[in-house]
Amino acid sequence: MTSLVGQGLALVALFLCAFGTPIGFVAGARRSESALKLVRRLALAFAGVMLAANLLMEYALVTHDFSVSYVAQVGSRATPLHIAIVSLWSSLEGSILFWGLVLGLYTAAVAVLQRRGHEDYLGYTLGTLLAIGLFFSFMIAGPANPFRPTPPPVPPDGPGPNPLLQNHLLMIVHPPMLYLGYVGMSVPFAMAVAALLRGQLGPTWLKPLRNWLLVPTSFLTLGIMLGGWWSYEVLGWGGYWAWDPVENASFLPWLTAVAALHSAIVQQRRGTLKAWTVILVMITFLLTILGTFLTRSGVVNSVHSFTQSPIGPLFLVFLGIALVATVALLAWRVESLVSEPSEDSIVAREGAFLLNNLLLVTVMFTVLVGTLFPIVAEAVRGVKVSVGEPFYNRMSVPVFLALLLLMGVGPALPWGRSSRQQLVRALVVPLPAGLVVVALTVLLGARSGYVLLTAFLAGYALWVTTDQSLRPVRVRTGKGESLGRAARESLWRSPRRLGAYVVHFGVIVTFVAIAVSANYQTSHEATLAPGESMPVGQYRLTYDESRVDRRPHLVAQLAEIDIERNGRLVGELEPSINHYPTQREPLGTPAVRTTWSHDLYLTLMNVGTDGSIGLRAIVTPAVVWIWIGVLVRVVGTVLCLLSPARRREAAT
Amino acid sequence: MNRVVLVVGLLIVVPLLIFLAIGFRFDPRTIESPLVGKPAPEFSLVDLDGRPVALDDLLGRPVVINFWATWCQTCIVEHPILLQAARSYEGRAHFVGIVYQDEPEPIRRFVERRGAWGPSLLDPSSRVAIAYGVYGAPETFILDSEGRVVRKVTGMVDWDVLTETLDSLL
Amino acid sequence: MVLAILVASLGPAAGQGVIEERDRVLLGEPAGRPLAGEELRQATEAVTSLMRCPVCQGLSVADSHTPSAIAMKAKAEALLAAGYSSAQVLIYFESSYGEFIRLEPRPEGFNLVVWILPGVALLIGLGLVWMRIRRRPAAPREAEKPEEDLEAYRRRVREEIGR
Repeated sequence: MTSLVGQGLALVALFLCAFGTPIGFVAGARRSESALKLVRRLALAFAGVMLAANLLMEYALVTHDFSVSYVAQVGSRATPLHIAIVSLWSSLEGSILFWGLVLGLYTAAVAVLQRRGHEDYLGYTLGTLLAIGLFFSFMIAGPANPFRPTPPPVPPDGPGPNPLLQNHLLMIVHPPMLYLGYVGMSVPFAMAVAALLRGQLGPTWLKPLRNWLLVPTSFLTLGIMLGGWWSYEVLGWGGYWAWDPVENASFLPWLTAVAALHSAIVQQRRGTLKAWTVILVMITFLLTILGTFLTRSGVVNSVHSFTQSPIGPLFLVFLGIALVATVALLAWRVESLVSEPSEDSIVAREGAFLLNNLLLVTVMFTVLVGTLFPIVAEAVRGVKVSVGEPFYNRMSVPVFLALLLLMGVGPALPWGRSSRQQLVRALVVPLPAGLVVVALTVLLGARSGYVLLTAFLAGYALWVTTDQSLRPVRVRTGKGESLGRAARESLWRSPRRLGAYVVHFGVIVTFVAIAVSANYQTSHEATLAPGESMPVGQYRLTYDESRVDRRPHLVAQLAEIDIERNGRLVGELEPSINHYPTQREPLGTPAVRTTWSHDLYLTLMNVGTDGSIGLRAIVTPAVVWIWIGVLVRVVGTVLCLLSPARRREAAT
Repeated sequence: MNRVVLVVGLLIVVPLLIFLAIGFRFDPRTIESPLVGKPAPEFSLVDLDGRPVALDDLLGRPVVINFWATWCQTCIVEHPILLQAARSYEGRAHFVGIVYQDEPEPIRRFVERRGAWGPSLLDPSSRVAIAYGVYGAPETFILDSEGRVVRKVTGMVDWDVLTETLDSLL
Repeated sequence: MVLAILVASLGPAAGQGVIEERDRVLLGEPAGRPLAGEELRQATEAVTSLMRCPVCQGLSVADSHTPSAIAMKAKAEALLAAGYSSAQVLIYFESSYGEFIRLEPRPEGFNLVVWILPGVALLIGLGLVWMRIRRRPAAPREAEKPEEDLEAYRRRVREEIGR
């Protein structure tokens, strides 16, 4: 029954998209009111059907209905309720269904939120979104159908989802964030298609674009951070980023999305870079599809391999159509997006924006080349090669430092041409701030050249960022406004400006934290019998005893470790090894003691038959500031999304 | 129509798609061993009963070296194939198992229950596994009678591949 | 060969940290100097961070603590302690695991593509940016300089206040 209804819903979604796509384009081309109305309704219906299909699957998962093939594949009676709910996206077919839901929700949101002011483009935008929906509903209805009935006999129980998913609560929030980011990039793409087909980019295009780009970008930022945090909390190697193809795939569209956000600012201020913004937005979407294909097809990563199923080739076909259509559309229409004549100077704000875009795209290209190179090398040389962390660090760290430099210099520069004095004043004043931070870093014991350079650039950028975010307040108080009123008015009138600098502030914090944590790790490994101790950093770790914790879906071996810092007992940590009865390989769960200055990170490597344990301890400074920096960025993004318009309308 | 955009775009897009399509046909798990065609690394290990077995002593006949473990599902699946092959080639080729990251006890129980196709040699510190460049279990190396690696099979050993290679060596 | 058998037959405990006859045949004379203590630890960390852990997802041997990675670390440490250079250690593992074991493609032959392409892209990009900048209309008008300063200042005030 569930199977039947589910398959029916998938077919309805397919029909709605197949019908809505041409209507959307007709609505765009003919500027037909009635067609636009119809396609908006179809978009809402598509979202509704996707929601119903996902809820149905959730119902099947929660009630352990093993007659549905996907439930038989990932379900298990032993898994707790919250795990059963999130196993919707724990495996391929379910995650494509979930993708459909997110796409549906975004499409509906565009249909509702952009119904006024964006009419010139809305038909094309919705048409494009439904065209993307067409592919995913086709996958759900056909090759990746999660509702397919389980061939009899229906098993009484299933294997349960991937233990990695069950191992940490972060895995519950990380994938949805990533999907909200990934799938959300379809909206700016659809808007870019609309702009090209319409042949113009007015303010009614740019403002929605920025918002619809900001939202998925910040979801992607959060998703990437949660992924790193999850890998830190679960995988037990003490790091948060390994330049794994899966991580790279999420990073690639983030880089171009950030570049597009910056070029959109230039477009707004100077009327230039129109075509470039459109191109970046389109590349961002294409990279999300490429990334999904790469990580899920088994081309670069064998874990999620589905080479044997038709899903991989179909994804490639979709990617091919999207790529070729994008190039053709750009070639056909790009000249219609005439920019105003540029008057850029390299030593001006817009020059900094140009370089920012260049550097972000360079990082993207480097990571893309690195990720694809193993495939190319195998095709050309017939040899398997690896491109891993050392390569990416070597190639990208200098570029990131250059970006940090730009983050300091760029906002200090005025727009347009300026005199030498102005430039000197703008660029020299923040120098002492950089030097002060370097001095502080040296006092804290840092000697590495990279870290000191990061410290200098961060101090410089920090000064400029603070200075810039306070500037409107200063100008207002200079005009005689009270400080409180000036601050309030500055925030209300341009939350976006402040938001942008808050984001920069978060980025600086993240940069410094990454530089410090990557360079000053100390670790120690030892085999300990009960009662024995080992030192690491300022800590002394004493192994108390190990115990076994049996839960319905897992058996955990825990080791109780007493933590002494500078001779004083500060707590107890319990790293564990989890055995899942339905899975072969045990999974370690590290235990982490987080402080403002550093993390103590314990991994249990093994528990011997005699009760001794293999313990690995890592002390990493500043880790928590990476997560804090990202959260600050998200807060800044929310500020950017606040609209100053209403306030201004009220005033005039 | 902007020719530059079209040409540059297609120059990027078409090779990308071609490489992705080619990449599809590679199995990400098979890694060509650089040992093929070279003398196999020497080893001298002890079996479950403490009897020493050295590669040198086995030469003169083709040797099949299989790295396996009891925790490895594929090893359990391929076990009957190896049993069958060891019987067919008895007296003509040597079959040697090297235990990959496993303990003697489970190995002993496994062998008692399912039978042995050759000695199970213990490699407690993975020294031999490293010398052979083992990525995971099971992996099978087929050596000619001079101890040269003729073929490496990653994952489950295939009956046809095994017998064809051995027949060509005899 | 006899030595190797002798050493190996000493049992599991003697297995690690031993240089075998085969290693010498493979690598020739040690190209570095024997390391010990903290220096050895750091060199081991450095060289194993360039090697892919064979059983992990894209992690380096240094970062992984799977049994395979631990065994490989021990082998690398033994080679470094015996005076073999980091390059030789990599060659050792490459000779049994293949080029795949290197996390950084060796910069030679076709592999140069991955090292050079990003730089080429950056240069092309810089060229494009430069062309954009150069395309601007005539040079600044010297005589109007002061006024222009004033205009820039006005513009900035406008930006900061109203937008």
